[in-house]
Amino acid sequence: MSLSNLLNNWAALRETRPYEDQYKNSDYKWGMVVDLDACTGCNACTTACYAENNLPVVGKETFAKGQVMHWLRIERYWGDGEQLPEFPEQGAQFLPMMCQQCEAAPCEVVCPVGATHHTPDGLNSQVYNRCIGSRYCSANCPYKVRYFNWANYPEKAWPNPLEMQLNPDVTVRTKGVMEKCTFCVQRLTEAKNVARTQGRKVADGEVTTACAQACPASAISFGNLADPTSEVAKIWKQQQVKLAKDHQDKEEGARGYRIFEELRTYPSVLYLERVRDNEV
Amino acid sequence: MIDRSEEKDIVVEHRFIPRDQDIDDEIAWAKINTDVLQSMERPRPLYWVIFFASLLLFSWGVYCEIYQYQNGLGVADLNNPQVWGLYIATFIFWIGMSHSGTLLSAILLIMHADWRKPIFRFAEAMTTFSLMTAGLFVLVHLGRVWQFYYVVAYPNERWVWPNFNSPLVWDATAIGTYLTSSVVFLYFGMIPDLAICRDAASGFRKKFYWLLSLGWQGTDRQWANFRVAYLTIACFLIPLAVSVHSIVATDFAVSQQPGWHVTSFPPYFVAGALYSGCAAIITLFIILRYVFRFEAYMTMPILDKTCRLTFAIAMVWTYLNLIEYASVWYGNDMYAKQALIYRATGSYAPFWWAMNILGSIVPFALAFKSLRANLKIMMVVSLLLNLGMWLERFMIVTPTFAHGYYPWTWTNDWWPSWVQWGIVIGSFGWFTMLFMLFCKLFPTVSMYEVKEMVFHRKSSRQAKK
Amino acid sequence: MSSYSNISRRDFLRVLGLSGAAATLAGCGKTSIESGQETVQSFVQPEDFVVPGIGVYYASTCTQCVSRCGVMGRVREGRLLKLEGNPQSVISRGKICALGQATVQAQYNPDRITSPLMRQGGALVPISWEKANQILNDQLGSASRLSGKQIAFLTGEVGGHQSVLLNNFLETFHSNHHVVYDPLSTAVGRSASQVVYGVDQPLLEIDKARMILSFGNDFLGVGPSSVHMAGQYARFRKAPRGVLVQIEPRMTITGANADHWYAIKPGTEGVFALGVAHALVQHSAYSNGVPAEVISALKAYDKETVSAITGVRAETIPHLAGMLWERSPSLVLSGYGAESHANGQQNAASILLLNLILGNQNKTLTGQAKQPFPQLLPSQGSYKAFANLNNEMSAGNIKALLLFDTNPVFTSPGFMPFAKNLSAVPFKVAFATQLNETSNECDLVLPLLSPLEDFGTHVASYQPQGIELGIQQPLMTQLYPQTRSFGDIMLDLLKLRGVSEYKNFPNYYAYIQTALIKSKPVFKSGLNDQEFWEDALSKGSLRLDVGPSTLSPKPNAVSIAKPKEEAADLILPFHFVPSVRADWRDGTHTNLPWLQESPDTLTTVAWDSWVEIHPSTAEQMQIVEGDVLEIKSSAGSIKAMAYLFPGIHPDTISMPLGQGHTAYGRYADGIGVNPFKIIAPVYDEKTGELAMHATRVSIRKTGERGRLTKDEGATNLQQGRKLVAMVSPDQVNLSKEISHVVK
Repeated sequence: MSLSNLLNNWAALRETRPYEDQYKNSDYKWGMVVDLDACTGCNACTTACYAENNLPVVGKETFAKGQVMHWLRIERYWGDGEQLPEFPEQGAQFLPMMCQQCEAAPCEVVCPVGATHHTPDGLNSQVYNRCIGSRYCSANCPYKVRYFNWANYPEKAWPNPLEMQLNPDVTVRTKGVMEKCTFCVQRLTEAKNVARTQGRKVADGEVTTACAQACPASAISFGNLADPTSEVAKIWKQQQVKLAKDHQDKEEGARGYRIFEELRTYPSVLYLERVRDNEV
Repeated sequence: MIDRSEEKDIVVEHRFIPRDQDIDDEIAWAKINTDVLQSMERPRPLYWVIFFASLLLFSWGVYCEIYQYQNGLGVADLNNPQVWGLYIATFIFWIGMSHSGTLLSAILLIMHADWRKPIFRFAEAMTTFSLMTAGLFVLVHLGRVWQFYYVVAYPNERWVWPNFNSPLVWDATAIGTYLTSSVVFLYFGMIPDLAICRDAASGFRKKFYWLLSLGWQGTDRQWANFRVAYLTIACFLIPLAVSVHSIVATDFAVSQQPGWHVTSFPPYFVAGALYSGCAAIITLFIILRYVFRFEAYMTMPILDKTCRLTFAIAMVWTYLNLIEYASVWYGNDMYAKQALIYRATGSYAPFWWAMNILGSIVPFALAFKSLRANLKIMMVVSLLLNLGMWLERFMIVTPTFAHGYYPWTWTNDWWPSWVQWGIVIGSFGWFTMLFMLFCKLFPTVSMYEVKEMVFHRKSSRQAKK
Repeated sequence: MSSYSNISRRDFLRVLGLSGAAATLAGCGKTSIESGQETVQSFVQPEDFVVPGIGVYYASTCTQCVSRCGVMGRVREGRLLKLEGNPQSVISRGKICALGQATVQAQYNPDRITSPLMRQGGALVPISWEKANQILNDQLGSASRLSGKQIAFLTGEVGGHQSVLLNNFLETFHSNHHVVYDPLSTAVGRSASQVVYGVDQPLLEIDKARMILSFGNDFLGVGPSSVHMAGQYARFRKAPRGVLVQIEPRMTITGANADHWYAIKPGTEGVFALGVAHALVQHSAYSNGVPAEVISALKAYDKETVSAITGVRAETIPHLAGMLWERSPSLVLSGYGAESHANGQQNAASILLLNLILGNQNKTLTGQAKQPFPQLLPSQGSYKAFANLNNEMSAGNIKALLLFDTNPVFTSPGFMPFAKNLSAVPFKVAFATQLNETSNECDLVLPLLSPLEDFGTHVASYQPQGIELGIQQPLMTQLYPQTRSFGDIMLDLLKLRGVSEYKNFPNYYAYIQTALIKSKPVFKSGLNDQEFWEDALSKGSLRLDVGPSTLSPKPNAVSIAKPKEEAADLILPFHFVPSVRADWRDGTHTNLPWLQESPDTLTTVAWDSWVEIHPSTAEQMQIVEGDVLEIKSSAGSIKAMAYLFPGIHPDTISMPLGQGHTAYGRYADGIGVNPFKIIAPVYDEKTGELAMHATRVSIRKTGERGRLTKDEGATNLQQGRKLVAMVSPDQVNLSKEISHVVK
């Protein structure tokens, strides 16, 4: 046990987060922009995520029980009210929803064993081998983007030779642990390592998540918010959304927003409003 | 033990069953001893029925748990977002039930309400076993049960501590402390009685009680030390008990989920805990009175007082319940209000209404003296009150998941699977089984305290003359 | 090398010496294991430039749909893990769709065939290749007397050098009996396009349009090049912003992304189009575009008549016409739904006429670049040819049938009946990676390499920019030693038939290499042969950067009849519109678990079939979600659970194509039902194609109720929460935005 470790880091543990310009001097703060106007709902991103992160296919009965494992899900809404319209004249609304990597994550506080916490590069981490499966993190998540391994999926999900498809950079999870979108942390780690051995930082566009890479409409952008020249940082700035504020003062005409911002989770994912012409 | 082989069926002497006094103060101390010791020897046949039935339920629960352990929690039909289900609801229920003992032993001790004396022993036993049952649920509901010890701050080479920000760690600490203290309190208070058992026993049992009674001889000095120590533990236990259920309440209150983020949850939970504890005391009172022939000790006037206490607590709980609704209804939080409306009108509405009727209306049966004197009615009422309290815990946990912030994950027909029900029923079996075992091995009525009660009443009655 | 978007040429693998046989070490000689010195085997024997632990990317071409996107595979320690889009491919631009991603599951599918199979006593038993070759020699060798129609090769839309070999093989029997059956054929649309524009597939410059009026065209879903068009669509939505109006009986993915979606009675799209045409020519902005006869014929299509026939409100027509003139250049698209009726070609031609009125040709509608290799283009499917084959089979005229990339027992309409007629053919051989309903009925099944283990060349029939000849190459060594390349088998068959010009090619790789190097002048390359070849392999394609060709449309060719309303059918009151999922297509891909688990975009149902029915219709018939309905047409009936779906015309129901397999592996069998089987024998008048959307059905509640497996929960509305916020274009400043859409 390290008492000194605990005492030395107590300040960091109790620090109120986020605060303005928290990442100004950091090398990395990973963030994302999802353009809901471009998203067509095609599910290429969700399939790419399954391929990249060793997500188990759970099958019909398990899916029907609500135990599906898609870290990234495409939600389809009919309108923004409480009444189903007779005909969806403005089409459907698609929302790719994944772990928002909240800066003040409600899940991080409540894990009894500390299996989830915030990394220095701004991700909400999930440590599989520490998780004992109390599921308090999922109970506290407003977005319900955490997925629990309700059974030992590796037993059935990859009959030989399907297991050859598994990505060796990503753990295959056993029953009883919680998992969620990691912003493809295995890719980030590899990119950071490569950059570090070359004595530089990861350049914008050098690394991206599986979903962003696949999206045919380029609706998902991913990058380093701490790098002001990166595309995502520029988009956040142009949309006048600040990471550490729970209520943005924006001019009209900027369509960037974060979901459930009023709950003060400070998500790292910025959504751009879907533009639909009423006149038509 | 006293040789009973030549006696016929044990008959309770009616002249010692008082109607208007808490206890007949003419009862001889020796008779108190024999009655209690005899209860441990030959309870009525119903005892065995209850014991084996609970053993059966417990075995079914064990089977369900083994099935779940091997196949993963998916068999409980839990899913995203319904991640907690009956396990957490029943966990809170059992923690709540544990407040009974502390209430009777500690709080009423300090208030010098000596009518508690014949009944506090089994209430404390109830506390201990409730906590042990609740502890079971903590394990049962974990995904990786075999690594539960990560919650404890034990020395490890990774220098990892548990997360002290988490209410679950507070729970573990509080419940652990409470369980330890309750066991100590229960055991400690039993020492003089165990000495009596030791003196009356023979063979293996004598050795067993001799070990447990720690050489108690009943000297003045021992009694003086005993009184001080007992009072100290009691004083320590009261704030501990209040804090335990308050901490369990923070599991919900600290979260911002709609329906949970309520500041009145800690006192609400404590009130609910005292409520279900008292109702359980009534249930067990009626059962033990019959099974162990304790009619002279667990008297109707004591039952009357217990019922009135329960009624009072029921009204406190009702108040806190209604205040929660009112503050949400007149408040500005759209999500919390929708959650409340969903509770009253959604898929689980029948349970919500049942909870409110059982929790707030049915206790009025306890306000009528004629009803309080009817054992059958009180048995049914007490069970209904506890059912209401169990439903309350269910209604706290499940509807918030069913109708939370995020509409995509709303569910409107989630129900637990047979595995969950099996384990819940198994927990009742476990509790009852342990409790019955306790009653067979240890004196359920505190002999020395009843003797004190009789002595004080006799001397005060004689003093009045 | 692990970068993802800036892959440089030197980092691509040159596939040297990788033929259909197993890849061996490049110049390492005997290992210490082989020489007997050691007994501990190193886990992997990598190529020189591979560092174990770091993935390497190899280029190839995806073969899962007609788009023929360029892809690249991430390979670790000789094992293919995942596909990504190849940034060097103009078609995919580094992007990839769900179906493309799932190809790795076709590669690693546990139900793949691993050895040749022969029919013996009613079942298929494994045999050796010697035996298989012997059978082929007996039946189709140089001693065979078959000729002409007697031998038939039934395939999907195969192209590239694969189809060259295939057709050369048939020629040795003096036969040209290559039948292409595409159950989702776009023949009607192409025919209409030929009539109106003079080309059968014009280029759609989606990103240049200010308004798209689409009559059920699912360019974001089924194609013809959905990955590329999604990129164009994303640019279309940036400043200066375009609007999309979709008119169709059942909402497709494209319709779900429209600014305005209209429900229309199935089959009446042409009538509506002509109503809009009438309004367009009346508008002041019209100058010229169509001859006077057309204009006078259009007079019959006044908005009241059109509204009565189509069910769309009359005010819509002048509104749309005004918008089309205002937001120029526009683009009007015809879609599969409009084309799949008895008057399908007429519908399509009417719709395409709008472009001429608006003068969109050579603005948003251009001709594809001139094709230097027409023989490599995929052969287009023809239902008539397929129906002829069916008749010949039942007459006993077909003596040998070879099948590749097709599953007609599953995809043919039930009334044919194809399976029964198939049994009359004495010798049937299937080339397949996995058994399906058709190959299960064959006498000989030859196990193929998966698309990710094989060589091939592909030229997509829709070339969005210039010409891209896609090269398919193995991304890893073949998993099963007994599987073979289709090209290799065809070469062997040709050699069996004694065709001397193929003597010098040891394998298909050598053949393709020679053929492509010969084409070097076409690609105007200055590299030497070896460099040219390696460059092609590392890029995964050969490119010709030529601009689009000019369209010369023929407005005179469109004939306009008087508008008439279809009679109501009292016995079969509902229109049946089978829907096509981009990742399932005709059901070829429902054996892939990711695609079964992937919830349907519009209904979110997974692992099942369903019947889409409008909520108002359902209420009238007292149908709730999960009620098992029997859908009965004149050709058959099937049962599935109901799903209440607002995006459908109230007189129409829809079911997804692709489920209902019975012999296609563990992930497809026993799941859902097959709507192909109830398609009624209605044909397009002009082309003879099967009219897939012309079936009429009745609905009957069976009384059973189940529960659909779906991702959505108790609500599919946002319930007043700001999840997907919608905003109108005048409230945002799109021109100021930073866009990273791939150009």
